[in-house]
Amino acid sequence: MSRLLPGPRTTPLAPVVGRAMVFGDHINTDLLHPSYFFSLDANTVQKGFLGAVEGREQAASETRARVLLAGENFGCGSSRETTMQALRLAGVQALVAVGFGRIFFRNALCLGLVAFTCPEAASLAEDGARVEVDPIARVARNLDTGRSVALDPLDPFWQEVLEAGGMMPWLAARGSLP
Amino acid sequence: MSRTLTEKLLDRAATGETIAGSQWREVRPDLVLGHDATIALIVDRIARHGHPLANPERLFLVADHFAPPSTVDRANILRRFLDFVEGSGLLEAGGTLEMMQGICHQVLVESPRCVPGSVIVGADSHTTMAGALGTFATGLGSTDILAVLLTGRTWLAVPPSIRVDCEGGLPPWLRGKDLALWLLGQHGEAGARGAALEFHGSGVPMDGRLTLCNMAVELGASSGVWVPDAITRAWCSARGPDGWPAELSLHDLQPDPDAEYLARHSLQLDTLAPQLAAPYSPANVHPVTELVGEKVHQVFIGSCAGGRLEELGDAARLLAGHRVPPLLKLVVTPSSTAVYKAALKRGYIETLLDAGAVVTNPSCGACGGIDKGLVAAGEVCLSTSNRNFRGRMGDKDARVFLGSGLVAAATALTGRITDPREVLA
Repeated sequence: MSRLLPGPRTTPLAPVVGRAMVFGDHINTDLLHPSYFFSLDANTVQKGFLGAVEGREQAASETRARVLLAGENFGCGSSRETTMQALRLAGVQALVAVGFGRIFFRNALCLGLVAFTCPEAASLAEDGARVEVDPIARVARNLDTGRSVALDPLDPFWQEVLEAGGMMPWLAARGSLP
Repeated sequence: MSRTLTEKLLDRAATGETIAGSQWREVRPDLVLGHDATIALIVDRIARHGHPLANPERLFLVADHFAPPSTVDRANILRRFLDFVEGSGLLEAGGTLEMMQGICHQVLVESPRCVPGSVIVGADSHTTMAGALGTFATGLGSTDILAVLLTGRTWLAVPPSIRVDCEGGLPPWLRGKDLALWLLGQHGEAGARGAALEFHGSGVPMDGRLTLCNMAVELGASSGVWVPDAITRAWCSARGPDGWPAELSLHDLQPDPDAEYLARHSLQLDTLAPQLAAPYSPANVHPVTELVGEKVHQVFIGSCAGGRLEELGDAARLLAGHRVPPLLKLVVTPSSTAVYKAALKRGYIETLLDAGAVVTNPSCGACGGIDKGLVAAGEVCLSTSNRNFRGRMGDKDARVFLGSGLVAAATALTGRITDPREVLA
């Protein structure tokens, strides 16, 4: 179970560097993690990653992507947080999209993932390219081509949550937890 | 300063806390909705924090997903949820548990605990449905809900509103579902992202309003609120003497006349044809006339978007005295026990059974791919639910079309997608 959950951030927020996986528009949570993988068991949750994204079922286990780049409305649909847990279990640490589904975006930041919008997210890199996402400088770089794009600033509230390592660490640091 | 209804509702619940430069504000929700699946995800973390729930009396919990459970894994998830309910003392503190009485969103709006003017957060995306009663209601993920359970607070942005005016009355072939799909077809899955929808119009009955507010999230909206009127008042009053908040008048729950809107959409109700969403998006919308004749293997009447008395009544009316084609699976899942009982009383259930339907217990059922009515590779299903995403309702190579109860019933009669106007004549 504990593998499903993030702890408080123990080191300062650092750039995420790794392989990219690139998605189109309106990739919903039922595609990213079909409901039949909803479980309290980490192995079952992990198996469902990209379970219904056409042509990605194999790619998921092979690319070991750290960064997901996507088009408009990434993660629209269900609130099931198992989707975000599956991303974390697969090693994903950063999400950059043209736009996000509202709850998915909150889930990412609440669980300590780096998530930013960027109008050029989907065209920054090809699948498998090495990219860097710097949440402090607010820049995403394609390390293969050298191209870099600016990330949209987060609202100051969400920037605080991100830097704290997620919603619960942020509440704890603020003294809001009884 | 003039305000939209959504701004007024959020102002009522705001604590005044904010962060410099932030659009987000701390809000104290009046009610927290949860169900077995998404609450079970945080039970361990609640226990680990080791202190009592902040406002147990504000919790409204429903066992509806794995209800009753169909696998050992799900039985264990439901047990985890029920053990939490028992151990937390929330029932003794005035919180609510509804045990397998239907889908949480439907059970909530049937309860006097869902109060117009309130702010509701829920651990499910379709929490938006409660906005049909003049609430601000929005879905959150489990960690967000964990924070609410422990602190009694959450952080929300006050969204700009998109005003939707429903002009005129619904013709006999149209339902709220058609309006929701039409909006989706026009504006797309992100058409209201970052915004709240504010619906106006007395020509849409409550069941249709519930469907529209339910599917506000399909447009990407944070919430959808129907501006209260006599229909809202009648629905609330029918729930019992405490059905309407004593301190609020209808006037208090209106937007200011000069409120500013991000956009305005107008729906001329009597000019629309029945609408269908084709695979694999609720925004892939066509008038039913473009899709008639497509063979279907299953018709599903159920879910929080389409298993109410309206759909069951429409289906019973169209199927009375008929038998569905021998190879068609007609699966009916009432949205709640209250809906089920009302349908029994009116004879709808017997009519549907005589027509060849199987009626399952009120629950989320097939809609979320959970149980009883999943579809196979290559199958086509006409469903009254809210999402036809690939793989959601069964095999990822099944194809699901979304439509009203009228379209579903007309289609069940023939085994092919059918325009209800052909049958209603």
